[in-house]
This record gives sequence, structure tokens and C-alpha cells, in this order.
Amino acid sequence: MAQGKKPEWYTMDNAGILYSALQREEYSAVYRFSAVLTETVDPEALKRAVGECMPRFPGFAVKVKKGAFWYYFEPNDAPGPPVLPDVSNPCQPMRFTENGGWLIRFYYYEKRVSLEVFHSLSDGAGALVFFRTVLSAYLREVGHDMPYAGQGLLDLREPPLKEEREDAYARYAGRRALRSPMPAKAYQNRGTAERFYTLNVTMGFLPLDKLREVARGLGVTVTEYLTAVLMKVLIDKQRREKPVRERPVALAIPVNLRSWFPSGTLRNFILTLRPCIDPSLGEYAFEDVLNYVHHYLRLEQDKAKMRGVFTRNVRFQRSRLLAVIPVFLKNPIMALSYRLAGVRPYSATYTNPGAFQVPHEMRPFIEHMEVILGQATDPRPHAASISYGNVMEITFAGTQREADTEREFFRFLVRSGIPVQISSNRKEAR
Amino acid sequence: MPYCVHCGVKLDDDARRCPLCGTPVMDPNLVRESAAEPVFPTQAGEVKPVSRGEAALLITVILASISAACGALNLFLRAEQVWSLYIIGAMAMLWLWFVPPLMDRKMGRFLRLLLDTAAIALYVLIIALVNHGLSWYKGLALPIVLSTGAAALFLALVLPGRSILSKTALLLGTAGGYALLLELLIDRFLTEGWEPGWSLVVVAICAAIIVPLIIVRRVPSLREEARRRFHI
Repeated sequence: MAQGKKPEWYTMDNAGILYSALQREEYSAVYRFSAVLTETVDPEALKRAVGECMPRFPGFAVKVKKGAFWYYFEPNDAPGPPVLPDVSNPCQPMRFTENGGWLIRFYYYEKRVSLEVFHSLSDGAGALVFFRTVLSAYLREVGHDMPYAGQGLLDLREPPLKEEREDAYARYAGRRALRSPMPAKAYQNRGTAERFYTLNVTMGFLPLDKLREVARGLGVTVTEYLTAVLMKVLIDKQRREKPVRERPVALAIPVNLRSWFPSGTLRNFILTLRPCIDPSLGEYAFEDVLNYVHHYLRLEQDKAKMRGVFTRNVRFQRSRLLAVIPVFLKNPIMALSYRLAGVRPYSATYTNPGAFQVPHEMRPFIEHMEVILGQATDPRPHAASISYGNVMEITFAGTQREADTEREFFRFLVRSGIPVQISSNRKEAR
Repeated sequence: MPYCVHCGVKLDDDARRCPLCGTPVMDPNLVRESAAEPVFPTQAGEVKPVSRGEAALLITVILASISAACGALNLFLRAEQVWSLYIIGAMAMLWLWFVPPLMDRKMGRFLRLLLDTAAIALYVLIIALVNHGLSWYKGLALPIVLSTGAAALFLALVLPGRSILSKTALLLGTAGGYALLLELLIDRFLTEGWEPGWSLVVVAICAAIIVPLIIVRRVPSLREEARRRFHI
């Protein structure tokens, strides 16, 4: 950078704006990916690998700055990002002014390498590209022969591409915005809040072949099957609580838009679907839920309609009326609208970034993958899953004390004939 | 490797209880390998509270500069009156309301309420001093401010954790008592006697509502009926 030249800055995409606006003292939208390797992690090698990768991923080496009307990104010149010994309470808040303003963190513990990302920077698909590249650089640092490219790796010897930092929402926004009515309040599934800052994480490990066999036997995909199990568990849980009025059970299912709108962006490019069942209408057997989820997810993955939905978000972001509101007033407005449109109408989130693919040279060194959706705005669990090799890992994480949602979920899988292994950071389990 | 007898899931080697249902892992034959590292780190990370010093400083600077500007302006504009003291007093009151809670996060509600009441009393004192009205301040304004603070403190002490019925009854009871006290203070200041008049109307209305509330609260069948009829 030339002396005296202002660093290059860029605006946030609409998902980035939202997650930044939700930032509070006790809350940040953070998620974590972990790779459990076959050997104990060498922190120094990890630091070198991260340092080697950062110039190739400028979109992750940024800090959030506050403008008069919007937050924006600026390159972060502070030393870092932090590479720290792991803690028992993951996905801690990331403040814009602390830790040199870094919005990513690396952790190491025994054989586990973890990457935590603030959601304004990137979605799961983008972060996994970054994580995969860091892992390959790390394995190279510890003396293994690793390729520089292929299977979702970005070549560290090449300069970063402009496309990797594009706002894909804006690029693909169409002519017509699709308006949808405000969805109704869903069953909230709230538990007793734990002490600040506790995140109860429960992970279940399943053999993917067995899971696939069960799902195929029912004529659905693994994602559809797990979504249906979660919905059924929540429907039954609500019924056991005997509420005065039963609310619909609705899930937020993020989908990766890159499958329909080709883009090399490493920034956010997702949209959430909302499968919703109203149990006050009557009894829903598991087969009914499965049937609904199977068809709903296929029906809603409609390219034109999805474009209409995110076009609306892009329009919203560009509306002059919203633009001229100062950022300190805009944040509470956006936080409130997120509460009404993004928290109230959902019972839980379930995200499945799918199978973690790596070049075959890396395969012998990774045992399994883990994913954690960080703290939610409310004390309730959110689910995420990732598969690697034959291990499907499903995590329930939340700030609530109770473990009943995850208990019923994993018991359901066990009853369906899928063996489950459970790990948790809960203190009472130790 | 242990299994949970209730959930049927496999557990970590070092698990002492099932994380899902809390059932203890009991196997007399199990030899725990103390050397094995737990699957998750045991050391919890600290999350430091955000420093609010900057916000406190900003508020202080804004309030102080408004006070200074008004004080300076007072020297030239209508210099025969010390009108700027009203504004300076208001700024001091705002400062006492907002800055100490920002500096000390652990400040209790009661201390805060006391401080807020003291700030109001101080502001009214400034107004009284400017108007040479120390007699009405001592006789009327200060007792009213203090009794309002006491009523608020009482409510802050007794309200939390009670049912809606009890809360309503307590609020109305406090309102009735406050009205009586207010009339007493006004009468004593104006006529040095006490002839309860309008406050009795308030007390009567409050009592007329409180009595049924207490009965409904005490009789379980009525309470259940009220809950059924008025549930939202």
C-alpha cells in the first residue's frame, strides 16, 4: 500500500449488514468449523499456515468500520488473526474493536483445528473453502506433500480474484422483487438461559452409510430425513408441553445459492427456506412430516422464486429511505425486524453444508469434521451437520440448560436403527 | 466405551453422565484412563464485558459543554437573570442518571433509584435557590420528591416475582397510600392542618379494586376461574 493512501474499503452485502446490525455486547453471529486430524496439532505450524493463507483471502482479513449510514469493511493491518488454545465455550462474541478487529479466530486443541467466523464475512460454503486451504497449508507445513489446487482449494501462489469478493446477491438481483407476507409466530422452543457466556454443545456422530440407507429406504435424501426428524421431535416436544395454543413448527434451512447462480464468491450467498407444519391442525405422523419436507424442499428450490426473494433484500438495502437513517438508529430497527422476521417465525435452524470434500492427498490426515452454529439470540438449540468420509456429524448448540431437543432427536435416530455416538462440552457430563 | 442405558447412544470414554439425559455411567469393570485427554477442552474462555468508559466520557463531555455554553451565554443574554442554572441543573441531573450506571455495571437497582431521587431533589433545589424559594422547597418539594422515591423503592423491592394479581394489588395500594401522603404534605404546607379530601376518593377506588383482587388471589378456585376467563 502506498504511503498515505487510504486502504481499499468495500460495502457489505445484505446478509453482512444484517449480522452486523444484530451485534450486541453479549451476542455475535458466529459459527465454527473444526477438523479433527489424525495427529496432534502443532500451533506454530498452524500459525505459519494461517499467515501464508491470509494474503490469498483478503475477504477474511478485514475489520468492520462504522460509517454514518452503514457499516463497511476495511482491510485489517493488525497482526493476526488470532491462533489460540481452544476453550470449552466456543463461538464467543467477536467485538469490532477488540482483538485487533479480527473477525475470524483459529483454535487448536489436541488433534482439533477450529475456525470461527463472524457471519458478516462469509457463509459456510465460503468459510469451508478458506478452511480447506488453511488445512492443506498446515499439512504442508508439518511435512506432508500437499497439492496447491483442486477439489475446492484456492491456489496460494495466485493473486486473489475479484470474483471471490463480489456481492453475488447484487450481481444476480433480478427485475422483480418477490414480496411475501410476514410469517406467523412459530413454536419458540425456549429453555432456561445459562450463565453468560456458556454455549452447550452436543455432537452426535453417525455412520453416513447407515444414515443414507435409512433415508433411501424412505425415498428421501439425508438432509430431508434429518430435517423431518427435527421437525417431528419439535412437534412432539411442543405437544408434551401442553400449550394453551399450539404454534406451527418451522425451521430455517439455509440453502447455498451457488448451485443455481454460479459465483466464486467467498462472501455470503445463501437464502433460508421455511418448512412449516401447524400441529394444531391435527396429528402428524413421521411419514407425513417426511412427505411434507421432501416435497417442500424440492418445490421451494425454484430458481426464479429464489431470485425474487433475494432481489427484495437487495432492493431493501438500496432503498433511499433506509439508507439515510444513521447507523445507530438503523441497527435497532434492523434488530427488531430480524426478531419479527428471523426469530419469531422459526423454532430452530438446521443447516447442512453437506460433504466436506478434500483432495485425496489430504484424506489420510483428517479423521472427521465438526460444525457448530454459535449462540442464537434466544436460549434455544440450533442444529448443524457436516459429513466427512463415512462420518456424519450433527451438532446441537445453544445457551439453554435443557438438553431435551437433542435427546429426543438422537433417540429417534437410535430407534430408527442408526448407531449414534455422543460428545458434549456440558459440565455435567464430565 | 460406555453406552447410555436410556438413550442407547455411545458415549465418550471419559463421560461420567450421559449429556442427553444425565444418567450416570456406571460400570464397575470400567477402568478410567486418567491420562486420556477429554474430547473437549475443560478451560472456559473469558468474555470481557465491553468497556463503557467511552460512552460515559462522551455523555459527560456533551453535558459539560452544553452547561459551559449556556453559562457563558448567560453573561451576555438577559444577564440580569441566572437562567442558565436551570439548564446546568438539568444537565447535572441527567449526568447523575446516566453516567454512574455506565461506570459501575454492578450498581444495584436500589442504589440507582436512590441516586436518581437525589438527582431530582438536587435539581429542584437549584430551581428553589434561583427563585429564593427555600421555604416551599423544604416544606413541600423535598418531601414530595423523597416520598415519590420511597414509593418507587418500595415497589422495586416488593414487585419482582409476584403474580399479576398481587402486582396489581400492590401497585394500587401504593398509589392509594401515595395519594394520602401527598394530600397530607400539601395540606400541612398550605394550612398546617390535615383534612383528607380528594385523596380519600383515590383510596376508596383503590380499595374497591384491591379487596376483590386479594380475595381472588387467596381462593384457589376463584383464581383458577380468573385464569381461565382472562387467559391470553
